[in-house]
Amino acid sequence: MPELSAMIWIEQRKALRSRMPLGTGIAALVLPLAIGFLIFVARNPRLSQQLGLISAKANLGGYGSTDWPAYLSLLGQLMAAGGFFLFVFTISWVFGREFVDGTVKDMLAVPVGRASILLAKFIVAGLWSGAQALVILAVALVMGALIGLPNGSTAVIVHGSAVLLLAGALSILTAAPFALFASVGRGYLLPLGLVGLTALLTNLVSLAGWGEYFPWAVPGLYAQGKLALAPISYAILLVTGLAGMAATWWWWKVADQNR
Amino acid sequence: MSLPIETHDLGKHYGDVRAVEHLSLRVAQGEIYAFLGLNGAGKTTTIRMLLGMIAPTSGYATVLNTRVRPGRREPWQGVGYLVETPRAYPELSVRENLEVARRLHPGTPPAAVGQMIERLGLAAYADRPAGNLSLGNAQRLGLAKALLHSPRLLLLDEPANGLDPAGIVEIRELLLALTREQGLTVFMSSHILAEVARLARRVGIIHHGRLLQELDIEALERNRRRRLLVRARDLPAAQAALAAAGHLAERLPDGSLALTSAAALDAPEEISRLLVAAGAPPTQLVVDEEELEQYFLRLVGAQPAPQAEVHYA
Repeated sequence: MPELSAMIWIEQRKALRSRMPLGTGIAALVLPLAIGFLIFVARNPRLSQQLGLISAKANLGGYGSTDWPAYLSLLGQLMAAGGFFLFVFTISWVFGREFVDGTVKDMLAVPVGRASILLAKFIVAGLWSGAQALVILAVALVMGALIGLPNGSTAVIVHGSAVLLLAGALSILTAAPFALFASVGRGYLLPLGLVGLTALLTNLVSLAGWGEYFPWAVPGLYAQGKLALAPISYAILLVTGLAGMAATWWWWKVADQNR
Repeated sequence: MSLPIETHDLGKHYGDVRAVEHLSLRVAQGEIYAFLGLNGAGKTTTIRMLLGMIAPTSGYATVLNTRVRPGRREPWQGVGYLVETPRAYPELSVRENLEVARRLHPGTPPAAVGQMIERLGLAAYADRPAGNLSLGNAQRLGLAKALLHSPRLLLLDEPANGLDPAGIVEIRELLLALTREQGLTVFMSSHILAEVARLARRVGIIHHGRLLQELDIEALERNRRRRLLVRARDLPAAQAALAAAGHLAERLPDGSLALTSAAALDAPEEISRLLVAAGAPPTQLVVDEEELEQYFLRLVGAQPAPQAEVHYA
């Protein structure tokens, strides 16, 4: 345990000293601000036109229902999709930077278990991603209050917030395999390339009706709340996350480290 | 007797490329062992195999009496290393980078960080981000990380890289002091023979992944080619006089005669007397010792790089 806490200290120091918390923090701010803006415009089309925020031809009919439940549901889906990109970006940086900066060699022949080093990275990436989810939620709640959305009982807001955070947690878990891609690709390119492919596959699989069995589609389906997901969906997602972590550990154990 | 480093028929192949082959090394306690080779000879691959970063395709290595296997904790508490270009977390300060290295070696006291900053002359840069360091200071930081936990064995890949002449002398003195005072064993790779000659006690020469020769530094000095170079105004007469006296002299393109026999090298004054008596007195008589670099290139069968031609307008 002291070994793991020492490794967590190292990882948090590396993360906090970098510009990444600021960058991902800004991204986490922008996501709910954008949704809040759309909701505001949908609720006040005339005012928005007068202020020049939108064109007179703008069609915002898609945002017909602009109350708290609809707003939080929309944010839940945003967390599952946009948040996923952010979480993949975070975990790719935590693992990929060691290869980009050439510092990986300094942690290979040390009297510390490699499992501790990697677990600390997963923990810090997870906590960091969790903090981003909290920022998204906090900004979303402030925005909702400022816009003055109706139907915002305590029960609705608490339930919507819980769904939003759980969607974030599920999404964070599906980002775990990207640590392997960052390690195998020895940098950021492979995971950031694959995240686009994953998003495409998620859409295709969801269209085909198999989304509940595709781990990267599960957080979005959960956030929509239209479909009661079976335990197998969550099990697939959990196994995907754990398998990603285990495969990363295995790769660090057996792969030749030439850089 | 236990040896800090032993390799047994160690080899690494990448498909058809044989990076290292049949490498059997013995490095004794407290010695500085230099691993010499041209770029791409297999030095870094060997060091990475010794550190468990690369799995050998044949043979094995033991370091501090422990068989090296990737991903293990042993024997790394007793080993410090610097592989290729030193790298550090650019946004962390020198002190923080050393703090990271300290926590990667449990049991290292916190005071070691400050001590190593002083010892490596990094005090002025201690709170500066490592990304802003010069190459020389980055090399010092790399060495500080390697020495921080007081290892018994140090593996250094081209430790003089990036250092200015004063820095090279300083690091050399530091390594010599550590071996003398603490019995530290050093295994270092280099392609700079002059530096190796000043520091190492034993030398292993690797070429195309194979160990060509392993010898003491004194033997390396002895094996260097020596010859007596003679110049005279009447070179054919001088050559004939030498031949008549039983000295085989090779005529060199630069217009001098080269004698390599022990008799000529041990008594150049006799050669001078002989030439004067023959009426072809020498205008120059000099014992020429082969440069270390030339010896090394002769050994590995490589040609020295051609001198650049200078044209004046």
